[in-house]
Amino acid sequence: MLNMVACYKWVVDEADIRINQDLSVDMSKAQGKISEYDKNAIEAAVQAAKAAGARAVGLTFGNEKSKPSLKDALSRGLEEGYWVHGDEADTADAVVTAKVLAEAIKRIGNIGLVFCAEGAADTYARQTAPRLGALLDLPVITSAKEISIDGNTVTVTRKLDDCVETVSAEFPAIIAVLPEANVPDIPGLKAVMAASKKPVTEWRAADLITDATPLSWVTSVKGYETNRKNIVFAEGDAAERVKQLVAALRKEGVL
Amino acid sequence: MAGILVYSEQTGLAEELISYAVSTGKAVTAITFNEEDAGILASCGADVCVVKGASDMPEAYGKALAGFIEDKGIEQVLIGATARGRNLAASIAGYLDCPMASDVSYLQIVGPDLICQRMTYGGLLVSSETLSGISVVTVGPGMFEKQEKAAGTITSLQLDADNRVKLVAREPVVKQGVDLTAADKIVCVGMGMDKEEDLEMVRQLAQSIGAELGCTRGIAEERHWLPPEQYIGISGQVIKPQLYIGIGVSGQVQHVYGVREAKVIVAVNNDEKAPLFKSADYGIVGDMYEVVPLITEAIRNL
Repeated sequence: MLNMVACYKWVVDEADIRINQDLSVDMSKAQGKISEYDKNAIEAAVQAAKAAGARAVGLTFGNEKSKPSLKDALSRGLEEGYWVHGDEADTADAVVTAKVLAEAIKRIGNIGLVFCAEGAADTYARQTAPRLGALLDLPVITSAKEISIDGNTVTVTRKLDDCVETVSAEFPAIIAVLPEANVPDIPGLKAVMAASKKPVTEWRAADLITDATPLSWVTSVKGYETNRKNIVFAEGDAAERVKQLVAALRKEGVL
Repeated sequence: MAGILVYSEQTGLAEELISYAVSTGKAVTAITFNEEDAGILASCGADVCVVKGASDMPEAYGKALAGFIEDKGIEQVLIGATARGRNLAASIAGYLDCPMASDVSYLQIVGPDLICQRMTYGGLLVSSETLSGISVVTVGPGMFEKQEKAAGTITSLQLDADNRVKLVAREPVVKQGVDLTAADKIVCVGMGMDKEEDLEMVRQLAQSIGAELGCTRGIAEERHWLPPEQYIGISGQVIKPQLYIGIGVSGQVQHVYGVREAKVIVAVNNDEKAPLFKSADYGIVGDMYEVVPLITEAIRNL
């Protein structure tokens, strides 16, 4: 049976990131989550598997903390999870990540389509799908808004900056989906229960690639500096507050 | 021939990137698929190659361009940050097996390496990165200024296309909404609004100050109350108005990314903990159904 592979990333939830006064960043209390955009990739793989009578599977590469992602991913309609783990994930750039995923995709084998998001919610590097295309020498379709499948042919509507394109390719192919490609369901209790019983294949990153040396690295991370007045009008009733706001906006010269 | 390769299908952006590349003192080669652009790009000081091949999609030439870059010994690739540009850039980087940084907000070539800054976590953080050796970066419009230089040469370049992705149809986008990026004032509706018909109340406010109406992603993509061109945020419009007023907008980081270049930011929300207050100059904690008509009335009485 053909495999429809959804690649996803377990990322730090940006809502839990604290930025200190000096703009230094505190992620110590942050929880992990599946990158929001990758939920669209998972849903696209599930829908494609239904349309093609294929099997939808999930693939992720992360450090040891990314294990809980499997249960979440598998509750979204995937039949099997592939978890590549290792500390290499902490220093991996897009080159290393794509090499690990490409090798895992080769091992999964019998590929129909591989789905990625356009970018991950943390780094938004926007590279994985085209890099997988290069490494696996497969056709790539990015900016996918609508996807339809007929036999072994996938037809995609792409939303570009100035036009909408319809393109088609034969399996196997790599597809990067836009957030508007679908609306992922929130998994119900039954799906969450069933997820823990689904099979997960584990590989260590070192089993897949011998050299995980990145070619680019992050030298510093700091909070984006916002210089806003943060004045909240709290005195008096609503009419009084509005009066103060309008006066302030006139003083700013924007009314 | 070492040097820098530049590409963008947006002529103005290509001119900006070429002008920056020329300013580094390195030889600059610009690629175009549009013969009409060749002269314009050459006048910025680049040697222009007009690509001829069997596909109408620039993305189809990633592998062939990677080969061209290796043959010419090019050290740096600069590509305009559009949907097509990002796709082609990552394809080239994949075939060259080299690092890439997308949508950089700062870049500097230092010896054989490139250092850059870019936004991560939806714009919450700024990350500084070093890319070693040959690398690819994508850059948005407005970072560099176009400058005229002694014109470079124009030649044509035959390349093999990847024809496995077939173009079936292409339609220009019919914009349903207004161009928010050009608006001077914007009133933005968020998910705090209960009903679609309440948009009228916010339209009245917008009219009273001569503002355009914008919205958050949820209003456009989930509730479909306004066209997708009207949503503001990292995956929608990025705006730079004089005045932005967020009504019932919680202020998620992805939305704030799209508004934080505004001169003055105002938040109206009944939840005093709404993150938008932290990104705002002025705020009123209160029920929009009480506050918005009062603002409209106060402005009409000015």
